[in-house]
Amino acid sequence: MIVWSRARILVSSIGIILLWWLGSHTIFNPKLVPPPIVVAISFWKMIATGEIWVHIGVSLRRVLIGYLLGIVTAVPIGVAMGRSKIVENLLGPPLQFMRNITPLAIIPFAVNAFTVGEASKYFIIWYGSVITIILNTATGVSLTPQIRIRAAQCLGASPRDIFFRIVMPSAWPFILTGLRVALGFCFMGVVAAEMVAAENGIGFLIMQSRNMLLPEQMFIGIFMLGLVGLITDRLFHVSIRRLMRRYMIMIEQD
Amino acid sequence: MWRLLRADRVSKDFQKAEGGIVEVLREVSFQVERGSLFTLLGPTGCGKSTILNIVAGFEQSTSGQILYDDTPITTPGKDRAVIFQDVSNALFPWLNARENVEFGLKIAGLDRADRSQRSEHYLRLVGLSEDHGKFPFELSGGMKQRVQIARALANDPDVLLADEPFAALDAITKKHIQVEFRRIWQETAKTILYITHDIMEALLLGTHLAVMTAGPRAGIKKIFKLDLKEPRSHANPDFVEIYSRVEALIDEEVRRMREQ
Repeated sequence: MIVWSRARILVSSIGIILLWWLGSHTIFNPKLVPPPIVVAISFWKMIATGEIWVHIGVSLRRVLIGYLLGIVTAVPIGVAMGRSKIVENLLGPPLQFMRNITPLAIIPFAVNAFTVGEASKYFIIWYGSVITIILNTATGVSLTPQIRIRAAQCLGASPRDIFFRIVMPSAWPFILTGLRVALGFCFMGVVAAEMVAAENGIGFLIMQSRNMLLPEQMFIGIFMLGLVGLITDRLFHVSIRRLMRRYMIMIEQD
Repeated sequence: MWRLLRADRVSKDFQKAEGGIVEVLREVSFQVERGSLFTLLGPTGCGKSTILNIVAGFEQSTSGQILYDDTPITTPGKDRAVIFQDVSNALFPWLNARENVEFGLKIAGLDRADRSQRSEHYLRLVGLSEDHGKFPFELSGGMKQRVQIARALANDPDVLLADEPFAALDAITKKHIQVEFRRIWQETAKTILYITHDIMEALLLGTHLAVMTAGPRAGIKKIFKLDLKEPRSHANPDFVEIYSRVEALIDEEVRRMREQ
């Protein structure tokens, strides 16, 4: 795990704020790119009125629902791909093809298919997470060392035992890595999702800031997106280290 | 004494990736008596691991068969436990030493008390009582192989199949563990088929020694029954004599392989 030095975080934070402040007053128009202090005041107001929590709550809910749908659909598909050459041949090429298509590109499709309600937003976030989870799961499942399977076989393991006691434990580090990366992608996806007919959410806050002539809101939104993404990633990482430590040892030690 | 394992004219062909067929084994026959430690010695690449894989049931022979108690072997089973050469992958890395040893017992449905009694016993037998809670990454190569031995024995198999289990260890560790392996065999009275390319090891451990011819189309060149006086070392004239006879046979095979 990366250990961050607090002093260095402070230095880089001050550096960024200084550059921003300078930029706002020199090369940019401060009315369009407001300086840090203006943003801070506006941010404080949003906290005081509670408005910011509404946006964060809504976006988090969308991310979680899309992500969970992604997990429950993608892990079984990935397992099937990793176990069966036929499934791998059927799904591998289309997935590799879709891998480079950003959630942004599927917004119109999502709206046509699921209308402008919450469903289309879940779909976009779901789409952002599934490919990574499927491919990582498939890799993990297919890379189980043959010798581990053989060792289990001559200790009396049935095919069912082999799957649950050998293949899945061997694949966990890959699956969990995929889930962690996918969680990050969901936060990218939520911005795309909230570009369409949203009335709230962090993505909405960013995208609408120009139209509503409230440029400080885009900074608040960007900042919150980074912060919430960072916190959930840390939480994910820490809980995996707690709960799944014996499986993660394999990749952390070798 | 009666035979437990019998290889009856076992041949094995492999499909080459670029097409064509390699005949790895050609009509290999031998018998392993119950309670013996049968070593199979041959130059690298002669197909001795393939024999072990067929006995274990991991691979099928192309023709001929391996009979176990007069029944042909077709699948892996817990009556034949394998000790693998691969130090890094044979243990389950997410289980600690004790849990590795108990793997087969858990599958067999033994309750917790029985499991821990057995794993304690076998971990003590291999000298790892203190290290039962360590995970494989915390164990040295020699310790990992000891856990493998304990894991295999805990399942109470009829036969142990050892595939060059100490080949990847350093010389000092290897010497120690060989002596202990012999002690464990004497204490447990298991039947063991032991694959090696090390003459010294084969002579130190075995009750029988089968020398293989060089591959492809490898077979058994000669089988010795090792009735050696103790100690089994170069201080013993018997030992020196048989060592040089076996060495001469191996040299002949290596020379033949080079000339091909």
